[in-house]
Amino acid sequence: MSALEFANVSKSFGDVNALINFSIALEQGELVSLLGPSGCGKTTALRIAAGFETADTGSILLGSTNIIGLPAHERRMGMVFQSYSLFPHLNIRDNVSFGLRVRGVRNEARKKRADEMLDLVRLSDLGHRMPHQISGGQQQRVALARALAAEPHVLLLDEPLSALDAKIRVEVRDEIRRLNRDLGVTTMFVTHDQDEAMSISDRICVMNSGVIEQVGSPRDVYDNPASSFVAHFVGSINSLPKGNTQTLIRPENLVLTTHDQNAQWRGAITDITFVGAFTKISVRLENDDAPISVLAISTQIDHNIAIGLNIGINEAAQ
Amino acid sequence: MKFFGKIWPRLYIAVAIVFFVAPLLSMARFAFQRIPVISLGKDNLFKRWTLDGLFTTLRDPEFMHSLSVSLKITLFTVVVLLVIMVPTTLWVHLAAPRWRGVVETVTILPYVVPPIALVVGVSGTYRSIAPWFLASNYSLVPFYAILAMPFTFRSLDVGIKALDLRTLVDAAKSLGASSFRVMWNVLLPNLRTSLINSAFLTVTVVLGEFTIASLLLKRTLPMYMAQAQGREPQGALGLGLLILVLTTILFTLVSIIRKKDATSISSKNINGGMVP
Ligand SMILES: Nc1ncnc2c1ncn2[C@@H]1O[C@H](COP(=O)(O)OP(=O)(O)O)[C@@H](O)[C@H]1O
Ligand SMILES: [Mg+2]
Repeated sequence: MSALEFANVSKSFGDVNALINFSIALEQGELVSLLGPSGCGKTTALRIAAGFETADTGSILLGSTNIIGLPAHERRMGMVFQSYSLFPHLNIRDNVSFGLRVRGVRNEARKKRADEMLDLVRLSDLGHRMPHQISGGQQQRVALARALAAEPHVLLLDEPLSALDAKIRVEVRDEIRRLNRDLGVTTMFVTHDQDEAMSISDRICVMNSGVIEQVGSPRDVYDNPASSFVAHFVGSINSLPKGNTQTLIRPENLVLTTHDQNAQWRGAITDITFVGAFTKISVRLENDDAPISVLAISTQIDHNIAIGLNIGINEAAQ
Repeated sequence: MKFFGKIWPRLYIAVAIVFFVAPLLSMARFAFQRIPVISLGKDNLFKRWTLDGLFTTLRDPEFMHSLSVSLKITLFTVVVLLVIMVPTTLWVHLAAPRWRGVVETVTILPYVVPPIALVVGVSGTYRSIAPWFLASNYSLVPFYAILAMPFTFRSLDVGIKALDLRTLVDAAKSLGASSFRVMWNVLLPNLRTSLINSAFLTVTVVLGEFTIASLLLKRTLPMYMAQAQGREPQGALGLGLLILVLTTILFTLVSIIRKKDATSISSKNINGGMVP
């Protein structure tokens, strides 16, 4: 029995089909990412699970119970939002204990639990602060602590990192993964950022226009994309002519060569971008207008390669 | 250039002071000096000041009655307005943003309708369905609620716009708060300043309204003052000054509360900057 299941959930807003026959089941303790471009229905799926939006058809199962008719405040879904959502008039500790307060838990017990949760997200010193006195990353961690303090059945995270800057984003991302593992709380994580999804998830659910394209482990989705959409959305991919058809090859599976005159493809280098661990090289194929992006490890490349240089490309031996 | 840069603001302030203070001083002299108006001049500025006229008026049972009528009407108007406008404004923001313009326009309508038309129309309706209501002093409450509605709506509207309303409501619900809890524990505390503002504006509207009260023949404070001006001009003017002073004190209190809300934010922000 899964912890949370969407069974054939559909939802439309006017003539926009936000979700079409959306079905996925999360195992207890699992972290599943909904990954897809903006407007593909990720938020709608979360909001239906949380009870903020009603599905047109289908059901939401919590364990074996269909909760589709249950009002949001009786569902015990912990939610963290894209925008900062701490209650501005309450200090950090009272924010964290809000869920217990509305449930009528006594003051002392509430305080104890709030401090435990703040400890868990390593913000125990900030209990007395007001939300506007702490940074964005801290606010999202408090929001996590607040959601977890209420002992939710499931944690729903709607792009909780998108308002943060790159460094903090990685920190909070790792925090989320750690909490998910340590507490064993089933988590649904929404993002449009494939790196984020790849690094945090047990499984990724790739969505496009309200439809699930593929569900699988990060490795699986990357190595065996179920559709051209998935192949292009998760990681970079080159579409190269092979005979009369096109073949999809990841940049790291291409090898550049300056001496092999019988290379599978040939073209001129149009751009070289040093990224740190590797160098991105764009090549415009001969007889082809569209430049393809080729990724190569910097050590594999001669020092004398330069923009405009004619170069051969081979598919790496598997 | 610098000389003028300094002198103009000062001159401006001086003119403003004269403009506001001179009439107040004249009023005070008329109300509190036992000297015939005709002989009020420079030489007797400090002579024969007395509060007798004011006290005579304050002791007048008619005054006490009109004051209590006005205060009760004010209280009811504030309550009625908030009970109607808080849910309406929240609803507009949460569920029907397209209707915001419509609601805003409706709240301004009474200013397009002349009071006499309003009174004749509304009292005509009451006379046929509930004549007893027109006899009561509280029949003013709906009129005053309508008059103060634009201020209440705007003040709430501004307060709500400053919040991320949708997210706060959803966050509270996901934490288990019922609609009542969301309202009581999240929305009202965050709208505190707006609520105080709109209550204050309602008080000033009610305490300053004369036309409708006189059309409906209600003995409100402004009505009393207008009538007392004929009988006991010194006392009436003294009372006017007293109300002015009280209103100023009330206004100062309100802005202190408002500032306290604001500075608690900014001063703590400075500490907040030290967080790593
Ligand atoms: N309340 C709404 N009213 C109308 N259309 C909506 C509403 N919510 C979402 N949509 C539409 O549904 C689609 C999916 O939206 P959403 O779930 O927010 O996508 P995502 O979170 O993946 O960016 C979009 O086309 C969006 O415009
Ligand atoms: Mg979204």
